[in-house]
Amino acid sequence: MIEIRHVSLWYGDGRKVVDDVSAQIGRGQTVVICGPSGSGKSSLLRCINGLERFQEGEILVDGISVRDPGTDIHRLRAEIGMVFQHFELYPHLTVLENITLAPRKVRKKSKGEAQDKAMELLHRVGIPEKALSYPGQLSGGQQQRVAIARSLAMEPKAMLFDEPTSALDPEMIKEVLDVMVDLARSGMTMVVVSHEMGFAKEVADEVIFMDGGRFLEHKRTADFFASPENPRTTEFLSRILV
Amino acid sequence: MLYYDFDWSVLWRHPYGGMFLKGIWTTVHLSLSAWMIALLLGLLVGLFRTLPIRGARLVGGAYVEVFRNIPLLVQLFFWYFAAPSLFPRDLELWLYGNVNDLGYWMAIIALGTYTAARVAEAVRSGLLAVPLGQYRAAYSTGLSGRQTYRHVVLPYALRVAWPLLTTEFLTCFKNSALAMTVGVLETTGTAGYIDSFTFHGLETTTAASLVYLATSGAVILTMNRIEKRLHIPGLIRRGA
Repeated sequence: MIEIRHVSLWYGDGRKVVDDVSAQIGRGQTVVICGPSGSGKSSLLRCINGLERFQEGEILVDGISVRDPGTDIHRLRAEIGMVFQHFELYPHLTVLENITLAPRKVRKKSKGEAQDKAMELLHRVGIPEKALSYPGQLSGGQQQRVAIARSLAMEPKAMLFDEPTSALDPEMIKEVLDVMVDLARSGMTMVVVSHEMGFAKEVADEVIFMDGGRFLEHKRTADFFASPENPRTTEFLSRILV
Repeated sequence: MLYYDFDWSVLWRHPYGGMFLKGIWTTVHLSLSAWMIALLLGLLVGLFRTLPIRGARLVGGAYVEVFRNIPLLVQLFFWYFAAPSLFPRDLELWLYGNVNDLGYWMAIIALGTYTAARVAEAVRSGLLAVPLGQYRAAYSTGLSGRQTYRHVVLPYALRVAWPLLTTEFLTCFKNSALAMTVGVLETTGTAGYIDSFTFHGLETTTAASLVYLATSGAVILTMNRIEKRLHIPGLIRRGA
């Protein structure tokens, strides 16, 4: 479903952020990427839907190249949902408008049809009563659930999560993770950048440890936690798994 | 002891009353027309200054620096006295021969293009206030660049820029008084004109001042009301 082949990414100042990484993520799989901050996790995630341009390698989503200038990148992005650390809901639009904007403008759905779908998704993430609120009136956890609903409204083939819980208060983390667990179990293909190792253990098929732009460890979940090979992984795990 | 014989009736007495009203009306449509140009052009130039295209940023930057840094009076004189002679000879003659309110039109152009530079800066500051994440979120749902600006970025940026735009509109309105220097009988020009017949400049200038004050007051109230309606809960803290 998502194929990452020898991808490297430099920033303008010559710093190599992603250094020759490869991975294959099958349909319906959930992969968790963890690692210290600045290790290139988020940059790599943004490469997958073309928000970041990488200089070397190739990423294919459903066989379509992200990098090829001939690819309709907007169309490709519509097929890949993305959830951000800071939610990034549109503050001037209500929850309902946030969710229906892209389905109406990109998928050309009617207002009624888009709203019905949005309400269904709000039920799914557990906050239908907030449909007419503005993002600023919601808690962080609620905002993130709306952000997930906004992505799902496009009926994506895959979802990318960029540290979805790291800006949340501890008591709100669970409500967001519950939605994500539910989503993973329903068969969504997911790439999750996160330090929530409980979530990884529960639903991830594979876990990747990234540092210095490279994949230092990439294993099936059980093996990742039971027998990590790289000393950096062990060290990292010992620090975040208290 | 003040030796001045007040005669407030110059403000409404025939024919001055009519002149005065006409002057006020001229101020209103002159500054509104200039504002329309300023808003459209300023939006475009402000947008240019933030695009990730070097050429666009250069053009936008050059526009702002030129129009913002030359005194408005000089620009007005340029448009009225100099610009027509840069046109083809036939057009120039036609302008002077047929457009007898040339001063009025040139004042709109001068005021509009000058204010546009200032509007552009307000728009730019609004655009720069939009977090990168908002673009990313919009693009990630498949919205095109145009749709992203239209539905996400501009509504956000214009709310941020709104108080600045209010100030610029008021400045534009008051700057319209300069049009009298190219023969436009707007409020200020009319006040001077009536004075030249009646020697009651104190009354006419006072009246002109009150007109500007009252209109500015009305504009501020209206803009504040709109600002409240545009207010985003939880985004921008509103002053008490």
